[in-house]
Amino acid sequence: MDLSAQLALTVLMGVFLAAVAMALSRLEDWRTYTPLTSGGGVAGGESGYITREKPLGLTRWLTTVDHKDIGILYGIFAVISFAWGGLAVLLIRTELMTPAMDVLEGLGGEAFYNGLMTSHGITMLFLFGTPVIASLSNYFIPLLIGADDMAFPRINAIAFWLLPPAALLIWAGFFLDPMTGGAIESAQTSWTMYAPLSIMQTNPGVDLFLLGLHLSGVSATLGAINFLVTIFSERNEEVNWANLDIFSWTILTQSALILFAFPLLGSAILMLLLDRNFATTFFTVEGGSPILWQHLFWFFGHPEVYILVLPPMGVISLIIPKFSGRKLFGFKFVVYSTLAIGVLSFGVWAHHMFTTGIDPRIRLSFMAVSLAIAIPSAVKTFNWITTMWNGDIRLTAPMLFCVGFVSNFIIGGVTGVFLSSIPVDQLLHDTYYVVGHFHYIVMGAIAFAGFAAMYYWYPIVSGRMYQKTLARWHFWTWMIGSNITFFAMLLLGYDGMPRRYATYGDQGAPFSVLIQNLHIIASVGAFIMAIGTIIWLYNFVVSWYEGPAAGPDPWDLREYGMESREFEWHADRLETALTDGGSDDQSDD
Amino acid sequence: MDAQPGLDDQYRRSSSWPLFVALGLVISELGVLFGVIPISVGGLVLFIGAIAAAVSEAGYTDRPWRLLAGLGGLLVGVGVLIAVTQASALAPAAVIGVFAKGFAQPPNGVVVRGISIIVAGIAGIVLALVGPQLATTPR
Repeated sequence: MDLSAQLALTVLMGVFLAAVAMALSRLEDWRTYTPLTSGGGVAGGESGYITREKPLGLTRWLTTVDHKDIGILYGIFAVISFAWGGLAVLLIRTELMTPAMDVLEGLGGEAFYNGLMTSHGITMLFLFGTPVIASLSNYFIPLLIGADDMAFPRINAIAFWLLPPAALLIWAGFFLDPMTGGAIESAQTSWTMYAPLSIMQTNPGVDLFLLGLHLSGVSATLGAINFLVTIFSERNEEVNWANLDIFSWTILTQSALILFAFPLLGSAILMLLLDRNFATTFFTVEGGSPILWQHLFWFFGHPEVYILVLPPMGVISLIIPKFSGRKLFGFKFVVYSTLAIGVLSFGVWAHHMFTTGIDPRIRLSFMAVSLAIAIPSAVKTFNWITTMWNGDIRLTAPMLFCVGFVSNFIIGGVTGVFLSSIPVDQLLHDTYYVVGHFHYIVMGAIAFAGFAAMYYWYPIVSGRMYQKTLARWHFWTWMIGSNITFFAMLLLGYDGMPRRYATYGDQGAPFSVLIQNLHIIASVGAFIMAIGTIIWLYNFVVSWYEGPAAGPDPWDLREYGMESREFEWHADRLETALTDGGSDDQSDD
Repeated sequence: MDAQPGLDDQYRRSSSWPLFVALGLVISELGVLFGVIPISVGGLVLFIGAIAAAVSEAGYTDRPWRLLAGLGGLLVGVGVLIAVTQASALAPAAVIGVFAKGFAQPPNGVVVRGISIIVAGIAGIVLALVGPQLATTPR
């Protein structure tokens, strides 16, 4: 970079830092000089202003360290990411309705398709999946364990604020491509970023993408440390290990997994960046070998699957009893299974590498552990079913999504057991069968549980009730859409359709008509789900403003003997707000 | 827990610093990776400054300045380590000479990045020294 550009950047940076300093001094002065009552700011009667916990307007949201606000911010961020990842996949599915490259031709053809596919995977896992769980846990874990807030409220806010820039960096190639005339493109490494491909793509968009991913990992790690400390040390004295709720148990286990898995991803990404920019040879063919990347990536990557699925399992275990009128069947064994999955999840990573030519004896042990992890998962499934068995079942929207979860999880789980068998995997590896299997889990199960939780806790967050008919429409479009799409993918895999391809088969080749038809069916299912998502968004936004007041016990939990701490808190809050005549914002704890 | 969010007498549940800690980390990562000195220096100063302020606000230290100086010192150490990896030997002349490499033709990118981190560290230390004089609001 020449000197004048460096000077210009220096001036620009100086102006930026000066602006930051001015903004900060305004904020801090504003606080310091607001008159205090004697006795350290307790309500002394001077004005209502004194007792307020947060500033108003945009400043409130930019500076909040309240776990509930941060939960809402995570939720909004997750919805935006879900829209991005969803639009990407709709473009992908539209393209795949025909064998040739046609729909996306004008937008960049195969390269654009590869960028969309990479972005879809990373966005859904790191920018939607992890944050939507963080949204639920931030809002509800402190309420469920009776804490005033998270153990480290500022670190909680830092973890959130790392995510929007991380997302911008991950998506940067798409924005910068037209601005730089194609000099910086979207990353086309796929979400697994396999070397040597990811080293050979010299496009700086990949560096930005890797930086964004690194930052999202830092964010997840900060959040995990916070949850571990909060659940260990901030519990109300009435909450002990014996009566800790199941959602908190799963978040505790998930946080431990994050603590061991994400720093490793961060280190591996730094090594990849060094390979790309500083000529190191960690993952080159002549150096540490591309297989090293696969080992490091999947040592993180498979626990990541459980990082994403354990809290949703906790949500399901929490909600099913409420609408079955029974306690969770075998509570202790659900907890033990959670812990068992957490431990075993670190012993299965090489089942992603059965076809790489690694030592057969190593493959054997990974097959055995992969089969073994089905046991605790099945224990949970049986416990959910037995909880519902002979129960007083109420098919509310959250319960429908829970039942949908169990159904999809069984299909996703059983196809996973098949894949963990080495000979089956050797045939089906890198086909749509694998895509169908993990989408049954991530979309059919994890996203279903996310929506179950959103419907269940919507009355607490918004104070209102959603439109129940629309919620049922959302469920059925998703249940039908997801099964159409992902079952078609399983069949595509049996037909040998390889994953990741933008184009497929010559006309007239064996199975070519069948494969195109299955692709069309899968795309139709995706559009049905898109319609359901629009219904959900409309329902949540409109109900937020116009929905009927939910009241203190929207699910009649008291009537069924199913009281829980977060709804008791909600009822208390409503009562306090009524007594004080204040709004939620000022008296919400 | 009640003691902790008490970042400020006025707004118990807000803090100005987390947003800037995050921004600082993002900007410094970008600056260091792409070897752009102004961005990496600005980002790192913002990062360590906001950390020191947040730690002090949370009540872990009385004032932010000593921590800021410490973090600045840490950056100087890290920057020197990075630059010295490019020295041909550990002899004093070679170690000192390595800093010229960053601005030679062609420049050594690793040394440039090391220097940018050192400059950020020094800026942090300077800020910690002049900060108490400039600060008008008693904390």
